[in-house]
Amino acid sequence: MSGVTDNLIEQSAQRLFADAVDKDVRERVEGGVFDARLWGLAVDSGFTLALAGEAAGGIGESWSAVVPILHGIGHWQVPLPLAETMVGALLLSMAGLPVPEGPIALIEQGHGNDLRTTGSGPMLKLSGSATHVAWARHAHSAVVSLADGALALVDLRAAGVTCTERLDAARMPSDTLRLEATRCIAHGSHGLALAQPVWSLGALARSLMMVGALESALEQSVRYAHERVQFGKPIGRNQALQQQLALMAGDAAAARMAALAAAADAPCIAQPDAPAAAFSIAAAKVRCGEAATRACGIAHQVHGAIGFTREHPLHFATRRLWAWREQFGSDAHWAGRLGALAITGGSRAFWPALTRRRFDSVL
Amino acid sequence: MHGLRISPGLLPPECEALRGEVRAFLAEAMADVPVAKRVRNWSGSNPEFTRKMAARGWIGMTWPKRYGGHERSSLERYVVLEEMLAAGAPVGAHWVADRQSGPLLMRYSPDVLAPRYVPQIVRGEAYFCIGMSEPDSGSDLASIRTKAVNTNEGWVINGRKVWTSRAHQAHHMIILVRTGDRSENRHAGLSQLLLDMKTPGITVRPIINQLNQHDFNEVTFDDVLVPHDHLIGSEGEGWKQVGAELAFERSGPERYLSSTQLLLEMLDAADAANPRHAVALGRVVAHYATMRQMSLGVAGMLARGENPALAAALVKDQGALVEQAMPDLAHDLFGGQVAPDSSLEHALRYTTLAAPSFSLRGGTREILRGIIAKGLDLR
Repeated sequence: MSGVTDNLIEQSAQRLFADAVDKDVRERVEGGVFDARLWGLAVDSGFTLALAGEAAGGIGESWSAVVPILHGIGHWQVPLPLAETMVGALLLSMAGLPVPEGPIALIEQGHGNDLRTTGSGPMLKLSGSATHVAWARHAHSAVVSLADGALALVDLRAAGVTCTERLDAARMPSDTLRLEATRCIAHGSHGLALAQPVWSLGALARSLMMVGALESALEQSVRYAHERVQFGKPIGRNQALQQQLALMAGDAAAARMAALAAAADAPCIAQPDAPAAAFSIAAAKVRCGEAATRACGIAHQVHGAIGFTREHPLHFATRRLWAWREQFGSDAHWAGRLGALAITGGSRAFWPALTRRRFDSVL
Repeated sequence: MHGLRISPGLLPPECEALRGEVRAFLAEAMADVPVAKRVRNWSGSNPEFTRKMAARGWIGMTWPKRYGGHERSSLERYVVLEEMLAAGAPVGAHWVADRQSGPLLMRYSPDVLAPRYVPQIVRGEAYFCIGMSEPDSGSDLASIRTKAVNTNEGWVINGRKVWTSRAHQAHHMIILVRTGDRSENRHAGLSQLLLDMKTPGITVRPIINQLNQHDFNEVTFDDVLVPHDHLIGSEGEGWKQVGAELAFERSGPERYLSSTQLLLEMLDAADAANPRHAVALGRVVAHYATMRQMSLGVAGMLARGENPALAAALVKDQGALVEQAMPDLAHDLFGGQVAPDSSLEHALRYTTLAAPSFSLRGGTREILRGIIAKGLDLR
């Protein structure tokens, strides 16, 4: 958590991702392969357990400290279930549950699924189907946040679990899981005051990843505007393009600020009590989602036809932005929640809530 | 691209105690102020309110004690400003002096002008206006023609300024003038002078805006004599000095809070169970949360002595988008169904007409995006 540690994480994320992730790796994973070597490198770097507590073999870092990892997943378009595993391991270790080996998938009961529980205690079982489960086919287990506030761990390789393979806009796994009275291998209370912790922390991770992808798209666009010559000068000399790129830079800066503020407000092992987390995470997912929408349009407009080809790498960033803006709640979803709270509080409660980053009423 | 990144600003605990004091003050001082007045925000001015703020020590908060200042932190000042603006308090009388004129005088005339004028600002007795734009010089500020000639008696100013906000209420003007020829460097030959608005030869004429209000003015100068020692900083350095001033002018919370009263009225008029209301207003909440962090981040940069010119341009450009979207959103959600003479109607009417100015004043959207494009190395 010291500056030195932050810096080490940043250095090792940069080194690992810049060296090991390239176009071929991304294409291979899009073709359906799990890059076990890349996954092994991320595990060996301590990334998967960076947020988890020491009892679970982790480092217990804050969200602010792991920003370089999540930002890096977006910036280098790293095709791994890394964010999901980091969140899953954090929640399990907060609940005092063992963190299993291998990639972890995330499910929030009632969001994109009709999962039902039967039984209780060691006999707790889950049935139903869950759609849009990122990386489910490669995950060994799933962390399920239950509507009653408890956390359950499911072995995805157990009998009674079927996985229908689906892809998101980035051609990353986004599968449909079907559980038939699947027994939870562990369950407990995560102790967080945060409602829907999987959905919320997933949204935070996606927000930080989107900032990385936004900055990648911006850098590519600015570089292209410098290099591409038309009418005898770089196209970036045109004021029309400069104004568009400036707007894109503003969106990227705003998204970055929103996501960093949410990371600073998010619960971690050392600071599980996080009263501003729900508000700041919702604001971040809204702002990053909106930035993604505008920035993808501008990035492609600046690149012209070449940016529309499979050959050019721009789409690795833009397709992820389109995929991530809808995962763990779209900007409209989170805006609806923030708006309902703000309207319920009315004019008197608004400004105090904004400065405290918390609405008193809950939905 | 790193100049485009703003580090989050964190408010230390003492700021929250101060926030409580400001809210208690506002609850009393603003109790009877209707929405129709609050909507004016920092365009509204009230000398009595300014005196009350001065009595609390909330003008010149960060300035040195030797100028009468209160030596509080810039983040404490930020808290006072954002609370005032969110409440729609009439802070306009002293706003320019507190934001930029005082800091300019202390920086560029610490021993001559600052000791004379800054204590008056702190007491809430001296209001300032800024003479920059001219009939033929708007965004192209370097093309100004108002001239000051150095004579034995002092500087003699001739020319004309326009869009000078509150020139009719201000005691002093800080004017940008041409004191030398434009060389190959088009920013050369400009200087800043401090002048007393009662000086003979100054004529102030109102320019009524589309809200039918008198905010800005045309100011003409006919052989206006200004003492030699009222030159601010160095002759010919005016462009650089103005640049530093604009960073203060562009980054504050007033750059995203201008439409706040309309937002508050919408929250009271909206239905939490109506998804169209909830989603649209929730997006505004997210924008406010983000803009506040960005604006605080720039305040932190100023506090650390960093140059926030680029970050300030980003904040102002993004903030104006948030402010200007508000009347159109209100129209979308409530247009044609607003009760006559309701506070929502007052806020909607005023903000609709005021909003075009939000991306003009203090640097147009196009100028700001040009600065950002320069930060991207595109220019």
